[in-house]
Amino acid sequence: MIQDVITVYVAEVARRIKSRPFIVSLLVGAFGIAFLIRSPALIRDSYTANRIVLMGNASLTARAQPMLSHDFRIAAVLPAQAVDGATLRSYRADAAIALASGARGLSVMVFARDPGTLDQSDVRSALLPLQLELTTHRSADVVKQITEMPIEVQAVGSKFSSARQSLAVRGIAYTLIFLLYLLIMLNSQLVMSSVAEEKTSRIAELLVSSVNPIALLSGKILASATLGLVQLTAWVTAAVVFGGGAGSSTAASSHGADVITLNGIFDIITPGVLGAFVVFFVIGFLQLSLLFASGASLINRTEDLGAIALPLVFPLVSALIIATMALGTPDTPLSVVGSFVPILAPFVMFARIAVSNVPVWQLALSLAINLGAVYVIALMAGKIYRVGMILYGRSPNVGQIWSVIRS
Amino acid sequence: MLEVDCVRKDFGPVHAVSDVHFRIADATTFGLLGPNGAGKTTTMRMILGILVPDAGRILWNRSPIREDSRRHFGYLPEERGIYGKMKVREQITYFAKLHRLRDPSLSKRVGEWIERLGLSTYSDRPCSELSKGNQQKVQVACAAVHAPQLLVLDEPFAGLDPVNADVLLSLLNELRDGGTTLVLSSHQMWQLETLCSHFCIIADGANRAEGSLVELRAAWPTRVVRIAPSSQSVRSLLDAVPGARALLPLDGALDYQVPATTDFAGLLRSLVTVAPVTKFEALEPTLREIYLRAIGENGA
Repeated sequence: MIQDVITVYVAEVARRIKSRPFIVSLLVGAFGIAFLIRSPALIRDSYTANRIVLMGNASLTARAQPMLSHDFRIAAVLPAQAVDGATLRSYRADAAIALASGARGLSVMVFARDPGTLDQSDVRSALLPLQLELTTHRSADVVKQITEMPIEVQAVGSKFSSARQSLAVRGIAYTLIFLLYLLIMLNSQLVMSSVAEEKTSRIAELLVSSVNPIALLSGKILASATLGLVQLTAWVTAAVVFGGGAGSSTAASSHGADVITLNGIFDIITPGVLGAFVVFFVIGFLQLSLLFASGASLINRTEDLGAIALPLVFPLVSALIIATMALGTPDTPLSVVGSFVPILAPFVMFARIAVSNVPVWQLALSLAINLGAVYVIALMAGKIYRVGMILYGRSPNVGQIWSVIRS
Repeated sequence: MLEVDCVRKDFGPVHAVSDVHFRIADATTFGLLGPNGAGKTTTMRMILGILVPDAGRILWNRSPIREDSRRHFGYLPEERGIYGKMKVREQITYFAKLHRLRDPSLSKRVGEWIERLGLSTYSDRPCSELSKGNQQKVQVACAAVHAPQLLVLDEPFAGLDPVNADVLLSLLNELRDGGTTLVLSSHQMWQLETLCSHFCIIADGANRAEGSLVELRAAWPTRVVRIAPSSQSVRSLLDAVPGARALLPLDGALDYQVPATTDFAGLLRSLVTVAPVTKFEALEPTLREIYLRAIGENGA
């Protein structure tokens, strides 16, 4: 049996690793991740929405410059002068901010290439201390005391030490849940297509006469799990390689208060969370791929694949939605119950593990239920697959499938 | 030896096989005949262990069919299938591996089969690029590459041109001579008549006739006598034979169906006394006739 599983496994890996869907998903995934990570830098370089020229008398611009530099890249500081498109182009700036002081304090004029790209509230809040200085005639230090009210956030019963870390982890966990969804969905569907190909090409009967159907199914699923992990490795590698460069540029952004560079991911996402990702990928993949494979063994035409996949996609999408909600509210009854239910649990429990301290008993119970579910699904799927692969003609109804499962 | 002992298989309300039984000696070729839906494929699947009989038993070398005995079986199903994107050599190698062949004999055996079936030109091409006949040859190689002890072939000649059918015919004879027991089903009676030493005819999931061609013919109740030239005196004499009836004339000869127990030597002596008979032939029934009668299609 083991030898058969290995033979099928090796052949499946060799066949599928050369297949177009696998190569496309591997490359698109890797390049997609690289692009997403690099895109802020790319967008900033090609479209300088925050790049400004600061103008006005030297006293004002010297005081405004540090205030604005948090939100804007200041390409140049110039004396007050007429501004036209050529001026902005010469400094590759998106806008010019001209400052003047008058009886009512600070007067600000913005000359923008595209008025929609410059947020007035950012300018207003950045220059508020200067306005206070001019209107109240208080010193910069006093104004600073007034405007910079200290706020201390303390974590109570949370796994995060700061709001920044909490936000960053939620962002990363959100990405990981999508990655989990993609990996499970793509690879389960590849198993489904592989079974459907063998069934519809009529090679199934030759195969099940040569090898135990369970060995055949096991080899197929293990091959797909391996390729899934290869995909995961390639995607994570792309993220780390391209993320390294992106890290420096995102760090330069003044919005960086809420941004964690990818170089810092591994300081936040613990090995435990990464381990949970792999474990729940394997569990989720086994559950779904077994269901997809048994469903595909019942069809006679590839056109029927949609009808088989649809009932399984619904719980999967529900799992994604509940898991996304669980990132914000990990301890609601829906999140807790969802983290035990097979098919939902790999996503929901992973989300809870990423953002909260899940009690050990809940984790143990979830693993026990879901590994048990894998066993039960494997038994049922094995029976359906064994019969389905040699069944041609009219597709069986639910009653007939149930009698096969009970047999 | 393969023993199929009163097997039954139902699919819900459908009785696919109700009572099929036969024995096949080692290194012989056995023809399993029957109309569409008679239960041939289900019987073959039970022999191969793909399906489990609801009743009865199937023994291979006096033991029930187990995983290890299945290793020595080969199967060419009626519904042909192939991995279209896989190359010819890869495909045959894969099935050889599934039957536990390993290097160094694996590569040698695969190469021999490719050579033997005239597939050398296509060995590194995807199977989907091959003609239907060549694809079928690949499937035969997949089924037989491991030199099985028992090879079950469901309609192996379907879709083959006469040249390739002859190639397959001689190949099957070689396998039998090498010790492989062959079980075939086919609707091409002349090929089965040439190839098989024993037959089982089934209809509606049950045995209708079984035995060697000689045994089946011996059990046939009538013979056809062909006499030429045809004349009124010959006709009158034959009409007087108990149980005789005239058949449609063929090429100027006179065909009469007479009981198998007829004294043919005496009949010939009587005929030559009444007419200048130049041809007298007592025809044995063909497999096709036996088959049609067994399944109840000739009104006999």
